[in-house]
Amino acid sequence: MFDAEKFIQEKVRELRDRIRGGAIIGASGGVDSTSSAILVNRAIGESLLCVLVDTGYMRKNETETNERLLKKLGLNVLVVDAKKRFYDKLSGVVDPEQKRKIIGELFIRIFEEIARKENARFFVQGTIAPDWIESGGGLRDRIKSHHNVGGLPEKIEFEIVEPLRDLYKDEVRIVGKALGLPSELYERQPFPGPGLAVRIVGEATAENARIVREACAIVEEEIEKAVAKGEMSKPWQYFAVLLPCKAVGVHGDVRVYGRVVVVRSVESLDGMSAAYSKIPHEVLERISVRISNTLKDDVSRVVFDVTNKPPGTIEYE
Amino acid sequence: MSRLVKVYVVDNGGQWTHRIWRVLREVGCDSKIIPNTTAVGAIDADALVLSGGAPRVVWESPKLGNCIDYFERFQGPILGECLGMQLMAIHFGGKAGPSEIPEYGLSRLRVIEEDDLFKGLPKEFLVWESHNDEVKEAPNFTVLALSENCRIQAVKHWHKPLYGVQFHPEVNNTEHGEEILRNFVGTVKLEQ
Repeated sequence: MFDAEKFIQEKVRELRDRIRGGAIIGASGGVDSTSSAILVNRAIGESLLCVLVDTGYMRKNETETNERLLKKLGLNVLVVDAKKRFYDKLSGVVDPEQKRKIIGELFIRIFEEIARKENARFFVQGTIAPDWIESGGGLRDRIKSHHNVGGLPEKIEFEIVEPLRDLYKDEVRIVGKALGLPSELYERQPFPGPGLAVRIVGEATAENARIVREACAIVEEEIEKAVAKGEMSKPWQYFAVLLPCKAVGVHGDVRVYGRVVVVRSVESLDGMSAAYSKIPHEVLERISVRISNTLKDDVSRVVFDVTNKPPGTIEYE
Repeated sequence: MSRLVKVYVVDNGGQWTHRIWRVLREVGCDSKIIPNTTAVGAIDADALVLSGGAPRVVWESPKLGNCIDYFERFQGPILGECLGMQLMAIHFGGKAGPSEIPEYGLSRLRVIEEDDLFKGLPKEFLVWESHNDEVKEAPNFTVLALSENCRIQAVKHWHKPLYGVQFHPEVNNTEHGEEILRNFVGTVKLEQ
């Protein structure tokens, strides 16, 4: 079995030997980057700066919540508002791989700017096994370019450190727990680096981000309520996706022609395979009603995704 | 036996290569992932698992490195998974090619013969698949299992310790997957 204590001991020693001077980490508030941050913090202490980038594709209230969580753990945190830069770069882009590459590159450029200011030669990121496996290379086909691996530009100014590279999500959670993270953090559902941008099929405009952000919040809230009431067990990951197509509906005797929102929820251990969640229809119905009513001007239809992985992937792009 | 059984994973570029390695460690093996170009003489393992991968068996087999060499010269049991099994079947005179109905994700496995791999397991259970190609004919092998859309889901060579599975026992969604890999590892001990 995986031995978290031994892993932590060895990693901290290795990081202490490797990192000289300052380092920054791309922090998202998720379990991967936060566990990485704590490991590096144990190795080099105050010389680590956590950079939290607000890409404009964060979930509802996420940047504020994450900043508070990371500070509470005793980490140095810098929040960078890069919403406009991301929206501008992604304007008019619809190809999923191109979107991921643009996001990956912009992330690195922002981190380079900070590293230069901070005089840091090392850049830490919370890459885990599925990120590099799915990004392909050599014999392995590229399923999607994860922003922290396949989405990286060719020329990078700093040295990349990835303490969790060989671990899977469930192992990272064990490490996170052993590192003393609060359960709301180590049990947190996965959230992709490119954020809501890959939950918008098509152009990731600020407007589309607003719609999918609200829909995601509703899916999360309703499912968490149902879990708390004992109506279902907590899925591995659950969210909404905005499709680029429209469907006809009727609101108060008036024809509407609005967007389609997908409810996606899966069960998995490590994200490398997944089965769709068998959510009770009552819960799905509450989600559908609330999304339709709350987002009445934007959405006219809600559908539930019944695809496993394979053949699908968990996220849409 | 005091030392751990060494079972290496030969990487043919599969999405789940790393998972095979992980499950092997969990069932108590000493394991590592090696490139399929590793010379057979440089492998000090007791057994090998050949991963699946993106290459298509009929027209991309050069991408499979030294796998053929392992069938001929490696001393110990080999489990070929997916593409690894397809290559094994072809090498011993069989045929493999595109599936009429490929299988992705969920499928129901029916065990015909328990043999080593399915020892102590139910006759039917759910497995996870991901293949565009399949084995069509496997002379010199006993077919151990099938599914609705694929007649050859698991094989065992008549005379050599060579095993093949089309489905993916290393995937968490596959029922009894860990036990299948443990049973395979068990064949090493039987030999010593």
